[in-house]
Amino acid sequence: MKKLLLVLFCLCNFMYAVEYDALQGKMLSLSCASCHGTDGKSITITPYIAGMSKTVMYQTLLAYKNGEKTGTMMQKHAKGFTDAELEQISYYFSKVER
Amino acid sequence: MINRRHFNKILVGSVALSFAACSSITNVSLPKDRKRVIVVGGGFGGATAAKYLKKFSPETEVILIEQNKEYYTCPFGNTVIAGINDIDYIKHDYKILESKYKVKVIHEKVKKLDGATNSVILENGDKIPYHKAIVSPGIDFKYEKGYVKGSEQFAPHAYKAGAQTTLLREQLEGMQDGGTYVMVAPANPFRCPPGPYERVSLVAHYLKTHKPNSKIIILDQKNSFSKQGLFQEGWENLYRDMIEWRSVEFGGKVLSVDPKRKEVTTEDEVVKADVLNYIPAQKAGQLAFDSGLTKGDWCPINTKTFESKLVKNIHVIGDATIARSMPKSGFSANSQGKVAALQITRLLKNKPVVNPPKLANTCYSLIAPNYGITVAAVYEAHEDGIKAIPEAGGLSPMGADPSFRALEAEYAVGWYQNQTADMFR
Ligand SMILES: Cc1cc2nc3c(=O)[nH]c(=O)nc-3n(C[C@H](O)[C@H](O)[C@H](O)COP(=O)(O)OP(=O)(O)OC[C@H]3O[C@@H](n4cnc5c(N)ncnc54)[C@H](O)[C@@H]3O)c2cc1C
Repeated sequence: MKKLLLVLFCLCNFMYAVEYDALQGKMLSLSCASCHGTDGKSITITPYIAGMSKTVMYQTLLAYKNGEKTGTMMQKHAKGFTDAELEQISYYFSKVER
Repeated sequence: MINRRHFNKILVGSVALSFAACSSITNVSLPKDRKRVIVVGGGFGGATAAKYLKKFSPETEVILIEQNKEYYTCPFGNTVIAGINDIDYIKHDYKILESKYKVKVIHEKVKKLDGATNSVILENGDKIPYHKAIVSPGIDFKYEKGYVKGSEQFAPHAYKAGAQTTLLREQLEGMQDGGTYVMVAPANPFRCPPGPYERVSLVAHYLKTHKPNSKIIILDQKNSFSKQGLFQEGWENLYRDMIEWRSVEFGGKVLSVDPKRKEVTTEDEVVKADVLNYIPAQKAGQLAFDSGLTKGDWCPINTKTFESKLVKNIHVIGDATIARSMPKSGFSANSQGKVAALQITRLLKNKPVVNPPKLANTCYSLIAPNYGITVAAVYEAHEDGIKAIPEAGGLSPMGADPSFRALEAEYAVGWYQNQTADMFR
């Protein structure tokens, strides 16, 4: 029972995650542009992240942060943000027109 | 005597002239219906700040004042010196900032910012008032030990890109096989901590290909340097004993220099160079001193907004600031430019500033065209300073295989393209 409650709690936690805060999202996304281009519109091999699905991006960033996914660089940056901040960043880019 | 009205007329006239390229003509007095932000310096910090001010608040009048019509980036300047890219590769201009973002660009040299009247004074005498200003003047050099104004034509520093980059490249091309390239690397703090070591790496790449009997001596004014292990591993892998690094404690300390004869006197000997790349010690750009923005060699700032601690309404960003623990890099200046632009937009609308703002930096260095290394960090600005988040960031791994190095080199190029587009396009 306890286990089930915990699972439910985690699920809820994920489903009812942070509300989008446009200002936070914008501020946190600013430095991403250096490698991924203004608003994530990369013109080179660095991935184009503008308009990416919020869930996919958030999951990817969490995977980098937790060490499940490694790259040359992203795991180092993802660790610099709380989960809530990574979610705000994902919200922000999902709202940018591709 | 010129009366005040007449004086104003002259000013309106001359500024209108400078603005002729843009369709709207701006009065020199402050606009009544909107706020004016003047950005001085169109490099990594300033060009970014001007663009993002317009992105965040299109209704704000943004004037960018930059002395040169073209901007040559130091990043990738080392590839130009080593003959990998041409000088045009690192050349950018301000046309898209004007046409797409409606930034008003004036190409004039600024004499100083006057905090008492909130105005920018140009060398030509024009005076333009602002509600807020952002200053990103970059660095200037300390002339000492025999390196004086003019020495750069004999012993180029190539630490501001453009003519110096081309000169150093020409000197390297003119060097005989078997010659000695001597670099004097500066003491901390200075622009781009890995910059000198990336440069000798790429110079070694050039020499290995074209003049394999030559050697490189680094006379360093410090005992360690950024990404040292990674650089030395790369040198060992690629260039064997072509590069000799002497720390300040063990033979590097420079007592004096004769730039014309290309001779450097150290504690132990006189080192003769065929090409002398002398990178002097550094301080904030002269404009910062003339505007009363400095304490010691650099500009103290309030870390959350980048507003000067010394002059109200002027925000200082980029290499000129004391923004420890961020390195003096283009990436840092760009990150700071956006935070300053965001906070100024908030301040002008009487809204609370974002607290705490987060910033980041990644420095890519090329040891060869297909061999890249990096260092990264994420920062949070607190009242008492900008702090790196301990769990985040770090160096690329030691002992990585060639495919990893090649990938980092590819990402370095990707970074350059996206970074310069983020500033100028
Ligand atoms: C060899 C080398 C390699 C580098 N590589 C990298 C790298 O790979 N990655 C990285 O992130 N950084 C790198 N850097 C560092 C980067 O170049 C600087 O950190 C960056 O340029 C700082 O930006 P800034 O806005 O402070 O100054 P700058 O970019 O120097 O801009 C200052 C601008 O202000 C203008 N100006 C100054 N005074 C006046 C005045 N009085 N009136 C009008 N205009 C004025 C200047 O003309 C200039 O355009 C490198 C530097 C060097 C030297």
